[in-house]
Amino acid sequence: MRRNMATLLSVVLLGLSLTACSGSNEASNNLKASSNPTSDTATNTKSNTETPALSGDDLAFSKFPKPVDVHIGMVVDPTDKTLPEGDSVSNNQYTRYLKEKYNINVIVDWTAATGNDFKQKVSLTIASGKLPDGMVVDDRSFMTKAASSGLLYDITDLFQQYQSSQVKDIMASTEGRAMENASYKGRMVALPNITVDTDGVHVLWIRKDWLDKLKLPVPKTLSDIEKTAKAFIDNKMGGNKTIGIAGPSKNSFPYSTFLVSSNNMGGFDPIFGAMDAYPGYWLDDGNGSVTYGTLTDKTKQTLALLADWYKKGLIDPEVGTRDNVGDPINANQAGIFFGPWWNGGYGNGDSFKNDPTANWQAYPVYSDDNKWNVHMKTTGSTYTVISKNAKPDVVKAILIMNNALVRDEATFDLSVNVGWYPLRNVMAAANETEYEYAELLKVLKGETNPEDYNKPNSLYKLMYADAKKVKNVIKPPFEDLNVSNFSTANFGDFQRLYSIMIGDRPFTTIPIDKKVYSVTYNQTETMETKWANLKKMEDETVLKIILGQASIDSFDKFVKNWKAQGGDEITAEVAGFLKK
Amino acid sequence: MKKRGHEKHYYLMLLPGMVWLVMFSIVPMFGILMAFQNYNPGAGLLKSEWVGLDNFKYMFQLNDSRTVIVNTFIIAVGKIVFNLLVPLIFAILLNELRSMRYKKLVQTVVYLPHFLSWVIMSTIVIGIFGYYGVVNTVIGMFGYDPKLFMADAGIFRQLVIGTDVWKEFGFNAIIYLAALTGINPNLYEAAAIDGANRWQLIRQVTLPALTTTVVLLGVLSLGNVLNAGFDQVYNLYNPLVYSTGDILDTWVYRLGLQNLQFSLATAAGLFKSAVSFVLIFISYRLAYHYADYTVF
Repeated sequence: MRRNMATLLSVVLLGLSLTACSGSNEASNNLKASSNPTSDTATNTKSNTETPALSGDDLAFSKFPKPVDVHIGMVVDPTDKTLPEGDSVSNNQYTRYLKEKYNINVIVDWTAATGNDFKQKVSLTIASGKLPDGMVVDDRSFMTKAASSGLLYDITDLFQQYQSSQVKDIMASTEGRAMENASYKGRMVALPNITVDTDGVHVLWIRKDWLDKLKLPVPKTLSDIEKTAKAFIDNKMGGNKTIGIAGPSKNSFPYSTFLVSSNNMGGFDPIFGAMDAYPGYWLDDGNGSVTYGTLTDKTKQTLALLADWYKKGLIDPEVGTRDNVGDPINANQAGIFFGPWWNGGYGNGDSFKNDPTANWQAYPVYSDDNKWNVHMKTTGSTYTVISKNAKPDVVKAILIMNNALVRDEATFDLSVNVGWYPLRNVMAAANETEYEYAELLKVLKGETNPEDYNKPNSLYKLMYADAKKVKNVIKPPFEDLNVSNFSTANFGDFQRLYSIMIGDRPFTTIPIDKKVYSVTYNQTETMETKWANLKKMEDETVLKIILGQASIDSFDKFVKNWKAQGGDEITAEVAGFLKK
Repeated sequence: MKKRGHEKHYYLMLLPGMVWLVMFSIVPMFGILMAFQNYNPGAGLLKSEWVGLDNFKYMFQLNDSRTVIVNTFIIAVGKIVFNLLVPLIFAILLNELRSMRYKKLVQTVVYLPHFLSWVIMSTIVIGIFGYYGVVNTVIGMFGYDPKLFMADAGIFRQLVIGTDVWKEFGFNAIIYLAALTGINPNLYEAAAIDGANRWQLIRQVTLPALTTTVVLLGVLSLGNVLNAGFDQVYNLYNPLVYSTGDILDTWVYRLGLQNLQFSLATAAGLFKSAVSFVLIFISYRLAYHYADYTVF
């Protein structure tokens, strides 16, 4: 007989009991290694004379006189094989660096695999109310739930005191959006993730080599794309199973939304943009009211267009049910997909491995009146949260760890994936990629030297390292870069530079005609209970219409139901944000 | 007195099991309180705000809850019925085989899928029923257009039940095969002497001898009537088949773990447990009544 008792509950408590009894044995190991003499005696003596004398960057990078234990929960990528033999999640080059330079002992209480496993673990940890000192959560609702339950440390004052000048500059580059993002009821309760704006700018990725073979121009508008996709399929450019346009998988979405506003590989975002539709975003109507973008007529028209394309066989027939967005792209069956700057290069590495001539190029998609409309993302979507029960020294340690990462990331030996850095939460200037694109081009053309970028504490922390590499990876001519200009000898460098120089070219070089921001990127109170239901309805309706399982008329019924089942209530709440 | 001393080591052997039970089944029961609270992890179980039956009321107000319960019920009942019948038929057929080696081979091969988790199996299933998968290739040979099975809400339940039965029937047949070996061979001989053919042997000897086993297994599986198989559905479904494929467990998962509605998820879990408890109780009485089977 199987026992069905409150399955969830038992898991919750199981998680609780597991978190309670791990750790500790690592601490002693690290302590033994702590007697290493440090080179940095200056900081050492300073911090031993206790803190008041220190300020600014001296404080931001100060070394603790006594070892400080920081307990963390950590996400790990199970496929990553870059840790050398003998090293572990709590003892590797990054933890040793923290130990030696700052006297911080990182103790990993638990790990979970990237993706759903980690989300589940974080969710259970919050439910149990027993947070490790620090962890990086990948959903704002985790942060707000923990904050509203009183589980988080108010870091407002300590952050002001301990942020490095670099971190300060990066925060400033977002014009207050990052601070707002990391705050709950006006208090800073997390270190925000700040990613480049271009993560939210979705562009058209297309096989330029296929276009060249067919002597076709680069498509600009939706009707161009339709013709191009058809030509790819008719000419079997990717073999018998050629897919004109790749689309979302069973785990990804047809468009990014206010809650997940960036990095939507394989979505149809630029198509909606070209129709001036912004589904999933809360739109300011300009008259004090707010509309949910999915409900608009323009969204409906775009869905009708997508359904038409699907019917004509231009869109991947398995859209919405595939295991993985990248599969047909990496197998070089697809000629077109949509996604942000890193999707070509970082995102589809296997495509180049399978076919070194795969010349993926990125372009904007224009509306019929020749406008490039883009919905913009929130500043970042991950949060370093610190437990309310952490000691002040531990909080300081976590802030210092963040400062150190921002300053020294470019100097680390990246053959060990930087993901192993404890509590790594990316902070990059919002325009980092654009800056790098422009400056790297100057380096290539000989207008500047890599050494010109050797500025410690620069806002653009990876610039110097990239400048030194770029000439090894990219060969002339530097106008109009193609895959043939790139050397794949060091594949990691190739991926990064391909993404910057090809993927970010549209956003850097072409002005956007209309940038659309969501009124909010966060959940409101009513959403906490009602959003799951509304979102399910939306996902189901949208996919069914695209796949032709429901007629476009069902859209109107969806709108009606959506409003009735809490949508109107939520819209009113969001409108409340406008008045502030 | 003497007897008790003799039994001491049995109690000792029971201990690990009891500890496990207390730790993982009894202690977590207190978490049920969450279902009657607006649970706040910071305040904990004891200090969270009590809301009575609000979570249950809200749950049944949601459009989803009805769909989800219906889906769960249909899928689970389908699985129970077919997981009872298919292995039975298979076991009887296997029993009729003459070649022992072939019999063993078949038995081993068909129960192999049981040992693969749904995480792996789902990829295989999605592949088989995919647009360019085996099934569509065969359909194509007869001139039909390919069909996107995984996106078809109309057949998702059948697909879930079918693949589950396919995965488990070899393993489930083991109990029947064991029961078959327990049938007295004299009965077959006697029937054969009376002139019964093979079909009659199966109908008059084998099936009656298996009735108790079938009834027992059927009755005991009643407790599973709300268990539609989380790991299977979770790995196979997508928004297109929510209408027929979303089950209680996946719903609770999305509510509780993805949307952090701990109290609502607990309420849904408790509801499921309560229904299951009643069914287990009934099945226990039925098992006693029809199969003379008792646990306690």
